Amino acid sequence: MIDVLFFGRLGDFAKQVPATMQALTPAEIRDLLAADFPDLVRELNQPQVLVSVNKMIVGWDQPLFDGSEVAFLPPVTGG
Amino acid sequence: MTDRIRIQQQDFDLAEEYQLLRQTDSTVGAVVTFAGLVRDFELASEKGSEADPQGQPAIGDCIDLLSLQHYPGMTESLLKAIVEQANERWNLIATTVIHRVGDLSPKDQIVLVGVASRHRADAFEAAQFLMDYLKTQATFWKSVRRNGERQWIESKASDQQAAARWDGSSNE
Repeated sequence: MIDVLFFGRLGDFAKQVPATMQALTPAEIRDLLAADFPDLVRELNQPQVLVSVNKMIVGWDQPLFDGSEVAFLPPVTGG
Repeated sequence: MTDRIRIQQQDFDLAEEYQLLRQTDSTVGAVVTFAGLVRDFELASEKGSEADPQGQPAIGDCIDLLSLQHYPGMTESLLKAIVEQANERWNLIATTVIHRVGDLSPKDQIVLVGVASRHRADAFEAAQFLMDYLKTQATFWKSVRRNGERQWIESKASDQQAAARWDGSSNE
């Protein structure tokens, strides 16, 4: 299983999303969510949203393995 | 090089952090520190930027509470990478980055960047670089609560521009 995390404003749209999913890439996670969470997926499709796997920024087609941690990251606003 | 990177809920003491930088060793000739604070018109100041003007309260609205979320583990490694970049670009003796998370109120300290170097130019420039990169790369997200409702702060194009000016420039 893949651990799935949503940060910042994405978290507000993802309250009902299961914490673990089965998928081969982050892009597949997004596709799997499209039917039940259209508002979330519209946010994920914003070009500024980045994806990380195991805390490294990667592309949406990065291969996932059992135990991978995927996080969806909106533009950061620290400092 | 002595680098200290901390992410914490509790406040920090600027004077204490300055003394630690100052006392690193006897080659330190310059210390620059920057402290970022919670403003009570955080959202209003972003009116007219790329943020949705409809979603932004008017100037004069007060923030009840500012919350900082981060991605534990990833934030630390990103800050470490930013500090490493600063060390590659400038001659630094010690660097401190402290970023608070959790709930904060107006006037609270959010972030501290401190740099010790032999000469002032390195410390000034590195401190500015660290803040510019921290704001655009480190995985922190601010939200504010007013009238019981949470609003996420939008990122600012001006922050991206501030960080972009360091790209491709050389300090050799």
